[in-house]
Amino acid sequence: MMSRAIPESLKKAFDREVASLHGRVPGVIGCVIATVDGRLVSSVVDNEADPQRVSAMAGSMVALGETIGREVKIGRSQFVVVSALGGILLLQRVPAERELLVVGTLARNNTNLGILLHETRGTASTIGRELDEWLAANLKG
Amino acid sequence: MSREIKLVFAGSMGAGKTTAIRSISEIEPILTDVANTDRAEFDKTDTTVALDYGELTLGIGEKLRLYGTPGQVRFDFMWSIMAEGALGVVVLIDNSRPDPIADLLKYLGAFRELADAGAAIVAVGRMDTHPRPTLDDFATALDQLGLLVPVMPADVRRRQDVLDVLEVLFQQIEATEEHAEAVDDWLGFVRAAAPRGGS
Ligand SMILES: Nc1nc2c(ncn2[C@@H]2O[C@H](COP(=O)(O)OP(=O)(O)OP(=O)(O)O)[C@@H](O)[C@H]2O)c(=O)[nH]1
Ligand SMILES: [Mg+2]
Repeated sequence: MMSRAIPESLKKAFDREVASLHGRVPGVIGCVIATVDGRLVSSVVDNEADPQRVSAMAGSMVALGETIGREVKIGRSQFVVVSALGGILLLQRVPAERELLVVGTLARNNTNLGILLHETRGTASTIGRELDEWLAANLKG
Repeated sequence: MSREIKLVFAGSMGAGKTTAIRSISEIEPILTDVANTDRAEFDKTDTTVALDYGELTLGIGEKLRLYGTPGQVRFDFMWSIMAEGALGVVVLIDNSRPDPIADLLKYLGAFRELADAGAAIVAVGRMDTHPRPTLDDFATALDQLGLLVPVMPADVRRRQDVLDVLEVLFQQIEATEEHAEAVDDWLGFVRAAAPRGGS
């Protein structure tokens, strides 16, 4: 069972990853980490999108993506994309021993989707690793 | 004549929206429950983050499409999406919560258009262990809002209780029939749809 607040050390590590993605990938204007049930964990957003609301929606979208993937028998959803005139939003689960987090990346519409996918996946696995390490150290038994 | 009717279940986290749909759906319900990381708000393992969906055919060839909402206020964007085209709303109250009357105002308020149209019902759960507020207290609160919304007790784990709630809701909707016909009218639906590029 997860406590109400994410431990400070984990939160710091996540903040670092979010900032790093934002800094290293040109065109990325925001990144949000949320719990699977839609609570904000960490974010950087350049435009006026509200990270709290985006977190809730990210939880819904990832869950809906997985539900609809099962429904049409194409297996497990890998990611969900919202492609709009003004930009791209990519959402996916954070792969870890416990399915607790989702990540969303917001980018300008001239951003290469392949690169965005690759970078977001990289960030998600780093975060997943950090989460797993924390779980291994703190969730004995 | 056969038609499809969309109903929405609303209410606080843990009030039993998913349970209610499970109790009466004739198809395996579509669920979007994930791990609940906020055990302080309600201590259960899973919580709905997008929607629940179930179906129930009534004897007269009407098919109910049952939609369950997520309960937490941060998901209020789903509430307005789901209110779209709904014929009625069932507001579930968990009487063991700190302020059930405030919950009533919040969740009924979110579906105010349906409530104003006489297409809402309030079902109160856990009254056996938490008799207060009483049904009268809820009725008084509704009166003060000028709303004609029935209130009844229900244990949504029991199929018959949920069916009873729906029956009272339908009686209420029929009593305001022109509303029901407006929703059934395809042209009305087309007119109400957002124009291209809008919304
Ligand atoms: N004791 C008791 N338990 C009830 C009653 N009604 C519902 N429950 C239980 O309360 C819980 C309700 O959980 P859900 O159906 O997931 O609630 P929900 O409204 O879908 O919650 P969210 O999706 O998280 O907003 C279930 O464990 C039910 O068995 C009742 O009248 N009495
Ligand atoms: Mg639910």
